[in-house]
Amino acid sequence: MTKNILTVVFLAVAFASCSNDDDSTPLDPVQAETISNLYAPQTGGQGQPVGGEFAKFDFETGAITTSETDWDIAFRGSTIAINGGVKTGTADEPERNGNVGVAEVTGTLASVTTADGLTFKQDADAAFAIATGSDNGWYNYAGSPTHLITPIPGKVFVFRTTTGNYAKVELISYYEDAPAEPDILTDATPYYTFNYIYNPNEGETSFE
Amino acid sequence: MRLKSAPILLLITGQLLYAQGQVKNTKDTILSQQLDEVIVTATRTERQLSSLPLPVTLVDRKQIITSGTVRLNEILNEQTGIITVTDESGFQGVQIQGIASDYILILIDGVPLVGRSAGNFDLSRLTVGNIKQIEVVKGPASSLYGSEALGGVINIITEKPTTKELIGNASYRIGSYTQQDINLDLKQGFKKFRYGFFVNRFSSNGYDLNEDVEGQTVNPFTNYTLNGRVYYDFNDKLSLFTSGRFYDQNQDAGFTLNDIQYEGDTKEREWNAHTRLDHKWTPNLTMSYELYYTNYLAKELLADPISTDVLSDSDFDQKLFRPEIRGSYTFAQNNNENIGLQNGTLTAGAGLQVDELDRTYFDETINFTSQYVYAQYDFNPLEKLNVIAGARFDNHSEYNNQFSPKLALRYQLNENLAIKGSVGYGFKAPDFRQLYFDFTNSAVGYTVLGYNVALDKLQELEEQRQILNVVVSEDDLSKPLEAESSVGYNLGFNLKHGRGTTDVNFFRNDFKNLIDTRIIASKTNGQNVFSYMNFDEIYTTGFEINSDYKLTDHLNISAGYQLLFAFDKQNKQDVKDNQVFVRDAENGQSVALAQSAYFGLVNRSRHNANFKVYYDIPSANTHINMRVLYRSKYAQYDTNGNGLIDSFDTSFIDGFVTVNAAVSKTFYSDFTLQVGANNLLDYTDNNIPTMPGIQGYVKLNYQF
Repeated sequence: MTKNILTVVFLAVAFASCSNDDDSTPLDPVQAETISNLYAPQTGGQGQPVGGEFAKFDFETGAITTSETDWDIAFRGSTIAINGGVKTGTADEPERNGNVGVAEVTGTLASVTTADGLTFKQDADAAFAIATGSDNGWYNYAGSPTHLITPIPGKVFVFRTTTGNYAKVELISYYEDAPAEPDILTDATPYYTFNYIYNPNEGETSFE
Repeated sequence: MRLKSAPILLLITGQLLYAQGQVKNTKDTILSQQLDEVIVTATRTERQLSSLPLPVTLVDRKQIITSGTVRLNEILNEQTGIITVTDESGFQGVQIQGIASDYILILIDGVPLVGRSAGNFDLSRLTVGNIKQIEVVKGPASSLYGSEALGGVINIITEKPTTKELIGNASYRIGSYTQQDINLDLKQGFKKFRYGFFVNRFSSNGYDLNEDVEGQTVNPFTNYTLNGRVYYDFNDKLSLFTSGRFYDQNQDAGFTLNDIQYEGDTKEREWNAHTRLDHKWTPNLTMSYELYYTNYLAKELLADPISTDVLSDSDFDQKLFRPEIRGSYTFAQNNNENIGLQNGTLTAGAGLQVDELDRTYFDETINFTSQYVYAQYDFNPLEKLNVIAGARFDNHSEYNNQFSPKLALRYQLNENLAIKGSVGYGFKAPDFRQLYFDFTNSAVGYTVLGYNVALDKLQELEEQRQILNVVVSEDDLSKPLEAESSVGYNLGFNLKHGRGTTDVNFFRNDFKNLIDTRIIASKTNGQNVFSYMNFDEIYTTGFEINSDYKLTDHLNISAGYQLLFAFDKQNKQDVKDNQVFVRDAENGQSVALAQSAYFGLVNRSRHNANFKVYYDIPSANTHINMRVLYRSKYAQYDTNGNGLIDSFDTSFIDGFVTVNAAVSKTFYSDFTLQVGANNLLDYTDNNIPTMPGIQGYVKLNYQF
């Protein structure tokens, strides 16, 4: 698939004018969304035990939720949990009662066109599906002197949601208002900004 | 002094310059100049600089004095292709042919100096006060020197006493930031006995580049260097050289963190003891028996003076003991029979090295031992062709044995043009830190483990329930860490033209098994455990050109330039395969990085240039020495999370020019007044902490 074709699809989504006339069973178009400044604080850290509620997110509604069951992914500090698998053992984490899975793909968001053929991982005892730590899961920690946490460019996360839908996500920033050149002294964390494409048709793996 | 030393040099070189077969210019001036330029580092025998098949930079006493430099890093930074850089660890080191300080061996009178910070050897530790010359051999030299000699060897040669009278000099210099440099150098020779004594005190009040950040950029410090040397000739065949050197520095290390003013200091102390017996068995056979011991100590203690809480308390205590025996045998009977394979010079040596380190974050004192032998054959198969072939074998207690060969050729095409080429192998043993480190960052919580202790330490952490999961297999950690190694190629020519000379050298260095950190496990606190591993392959390539021209008898100009490309091979391939990404500045989305945007390794500038003028005004007993240095832009670290330096990173330091100048005037025949300034254009950057703004100075020297 080339980028040009994708651009056309995105434009079609943006104008919500696609009618899929030539399909025998019409599907709803994929949804392109941006979530800005999802705030996910944690307590402790810096050598102290970490804790605090996770900020849960539901792809179906495209919003933060406090529901115990209708959530797909959850954020706390630099940790991302998914509603699939079992508890990892960290304090204050939510129950896993869905079958959410996540797969990591290297590429631009546009270059990931389908969830077909991917291997999905789930949270496990003592291991998050999206690994923690620098250069391991979703971010790089720059260390001295900038101490910045930067989402690894070219890393796309594909999720199978609680409702059996598929979404692909690119994390953009960990800092409030996603500044192009964040500064740890002035820009607050953890404020997640991410782009995603969600296929609202249950079981459909295509992102086009 | 120079005149008096010439006959002695002639004697030495006459005995050791066996099979040169070079076209020798008979002009007196040029002859004496060439005789002055004898170096020992390249072959471990005395050789004329101009006859060597290797790329060599020589910095002589005159250049050191007239340029008004006081520490070794300053004078080396002014040489073509040699750059001092502050790396991401915050320490300064030297870079040669784009190769970092970790891979450059530092010698003093032929024996190695120890004590590095994160791999960097801080050259400002060394005063230039009693240095006769600095010899820099570029490219791998492990065939003679073993570990660490991948990018090159810097050998500091101290001055030798030559006369009967007591001679020497005393000097005082004061400059900006209350920088003071005091030297006393004494030398005297008797019939069989000669000695040299040198003492230096260097201090500065430091400086502050960034007023927004509390505390100074460089804190006040004072250091002392003492060096005593004794030479004794038992007879014309047996002579003794012994040297003791002591260095001590104390630097205020206080700083403010979270509104607490921590107080404390950093101490450095170094001892060197070096003894050598030179034995001339026959005119053709000389042998040296050498004993060397050095100890480097660094200590830092920082505490809150009110609560007496200790912020940092670290120790570093490294010792090295090295006996070596070596010899040189010249097969040629006389100067007329020095052509051919059978008429060369064989140099061979064997030694033992015991290296010991005790430091914070090590469980116990660690010892390494290694034994080595080396041999080198230097001959002229044809009248115009010089060949040096050598190899060294190192047997080490901690890593695989190393065999380091080298071959170098020089061909004199005609009276004015010679071409030279060499290929050699270099290696660096895994260092103590890479093998035995056990460090947990108390603020962030990550852990770094040395390779040899990683398995045991991991088990300990698991027992303490600190480990979430281990991401490497046990096998990955049980095979010994390999030495880092390189193959270096150099090809160049030397051209004499009228009143000038030009040297050109193309180089390429291919590194493999570079040691870097990787994650071996994740911890329950969300952080990782890192250990060391061989994986990076890099290369550096480019060329350097140096031209020296005597415009008049009193005006000398020179210009130098280095072009450098330094890349990680894997990164380069990944960029080519569109597997490396950057974020669009507008919308933050990832896009593949274009090949042209991969900039290469950190701290490497593509262009380096220098221009130097030396002007002598004999009628006024005055000389002027000015240098203009240019360094093109370079990046300090990755800022956009893709693990390499690309043109979208924001840590670039733009290209800059520095100008240093000094004027010296001699009066009453024994007194010299020098007035000068470094960084005349007052260039500063908060990210170059080692470079303050314009620094003026005045120096008075009394020669006796």
